[in-house]
Amino acid sequence: MRILGTAALALNRIWATKIRSLLTMLGVVIGVAAIVALTSIVDGASQGINKSLATLGTNQLNITAMAADSLTEQDANALAALDNVSVMFVQAQNQGTIATRESRVNARLVGVSSQYFEAVKPEIALGSYLSSSSFAATSKDVVFGADAANDLGITKDMLGTSVKLNGQDFRLVGVLDDQAGFGTSGRVYVTIDSARKLFSQYPYVSSIVIQANTPEQVDTLQIQADVLLRERYGLGSETTARYTITNQASLIAAVGTITATLGLLLTGIAAISLLVGGIGIMNIMLVSVRERTREIGVRRAIGAKQSNILTQFLIEAIVLSLAGGIVGLILGEIAAFFLAVLGDWVFSIRLDTVLLALGFSLLVGVVFGVWPARQAAKLEPIDALRFE
Amino acid sequence: MADEVVRLDKVRRDYLVGDQITTALGGVDLVIERGEFVAIVGPSGSGKSTMMNLIGCLDRPSSGSVLIAGDSTNDLSDNKLTELRSRAIGFVFQQFQLLPNTTAIENVMAPLLYQGIGTKAAKKSATHMLTQLGLGDRLNFDRNRLSGGQQQRVAIARALVTSPDIVLADEPTGALDSKTGAAVIELLKELHREGRTIVLITHDLEIAASAPRRVFLRDGLVERDERGVS
Repeated sequence: MRILGTAALALNRIWATKIRSLLTMLGVVIGVAAIVALTSIVDGASQGINKSLATLGTNQLNITAMAADSLTEQDANALAALDNVSVMFVQAQNQGTIATRESRVNARLVGVSSQYFEAVKPEIALGSYLSSSSFAATSKDVVFGADAANDLGITKDMLGTSVKLNGQDFRLVGVLDDQAGFGTSGRVYVTIDSARKLFSQYPYVSSIVIQANTPEQVDTLQIQADVLLRERYGLGSETTARYTITNQASLIAAVGTITATLGLLLTGIAAISLLVGGIGIMNIMLVSVRERTREIGVRRAIGAKQSNILTQFLIEAIVLSLAGGIVGLILGEIAAFFLAVLGDWVFSIRLDTVLLALGFSLLVGVVFGVWPARQAAKLEPIDALRFE
Repeated sequence: MADEVVRLDKVRRDYLVGDQITTALGGVDLVIERGEFVAIVGPSGSGKSTMMNLIGCLDRPSSGSVLIAGDSTNDLSDNKLTELRSRAIGFVFQQFQLLPNTTAIENVMAPLLYQGIGTKAAKKSATHMLTQLGLGDRLNFDRNRLSGGQQQRVAIARALVTSPDIVLADEPTGALDSKTGAAVIELLKELHREGRTIVLITHDLEIAASAPRRVFLRDGLVERDERGVS
């Protein structure tokens, strides 16, 4: 018998036992849907994190003070004199309050040096960045991050008006559109001089950001910066430093490793449910072989070879599993779509996910279908015909 | 030499039941020629089922030789034995044994499809065969919508469709009322008149009497081989 005829037999049988076939498929449906949905979660999450990290620049080094008096502006100047450093800015930040006439909320007050906006290039929603005149000693200008602006209900006509930071008057010059960013929301930006006056912590800075000319130079620059700072504070190479140096590129790589591990873990869990689904199929196929022993005997008597019987049962298992895989794929993609809407990441149907889902369900059908099919094919015709 | 379709020479068939050897056939010689209508008769335990299995190429002898349409079944692989069975034997079973979830015509097509014949040709032959047996208007009925007699005629059509050397009928009237059973026997007689070889396995002497030749089995041996109208 030709393979198409055998496939038709299998479909016929599956259709004849619809409810049972549906229940049998369920394990694979759930397994595949779980794999598809979980893969998309991991994808979406790493997409978001990487985007956030990338906006900060991959050739940056963040040197963060461990205590309020760990790093100074002199350290920053020394670092700026190193080779291959293209841009440098310092930040001094602290918790504070921001207020309009109507309301008052907590925010992170961040003092930045004049190169900050040029280096980070945040999107601007209203007004402008802090300008060079903002950095003139007497000026008290402020730029709001998106969350801070939302919290206080900042509108366009409030640009140029006065807001209070820790009770002192500042002039609002701009609002950033940094919602998609990472760690910049809920913040307001003032000049570093203004910040020091607000927190009275001259000459200390909370972080220094240096940027290598090219991403390749970042690792060398990291070592040079560490050596320089240890020298300035007389720290041996074994001593715990008073600062930490974070490399954006290695952070992205670390995030990549974490999401890959997470993905593997989630896929592993989903694979277990697929395994359970496969066992379900095998179980039903074994029951089916037993129930249809007489039929197998009759088929053998009227000329079916062992290979015909094997193919018939194997195709049945594969069709069950593959159909489960297709349904699971569709449900999984629907789930992934809603997760993407919720998590605010880009939804896409990935070809490799589709192939993986279908490939896996095909594999499950073959692996768990072979044994029952062999049992069926190996039945002796006379025993099968006699079977009650 | 006449055209022998079945030749059994000193055929023994022993089964191992638990750790005991049971002899089902204890050295049987039997020749059936093309065009004969033979009833193999005996009570249960006489060895007639074993004989049916051997003639039907479902089983091989423990010793002795079985030739079906000139081919020895003794040393055939499962595949070759299946091929021989498919070519030489048409089965008619007691419980009809129509395939589940299939229509009349699909049942009759099945042996042809297993022979590797294309769907279209198989459909044509099956339609022809069912029409000949008066089931031309029941082609697409599944077995639940066919009476017992109709089901048995579908089964007979399935047995005949490959033009086998032997039609092997195992208690073909066993599941039918006497009137329908008589009609099935009439059909077998008619097939015999058309020149087909019929081997009828039965325990029923009355049914056996409709065959021109009757082979009586007892305790695994041929007790009597009668010819002529009884």
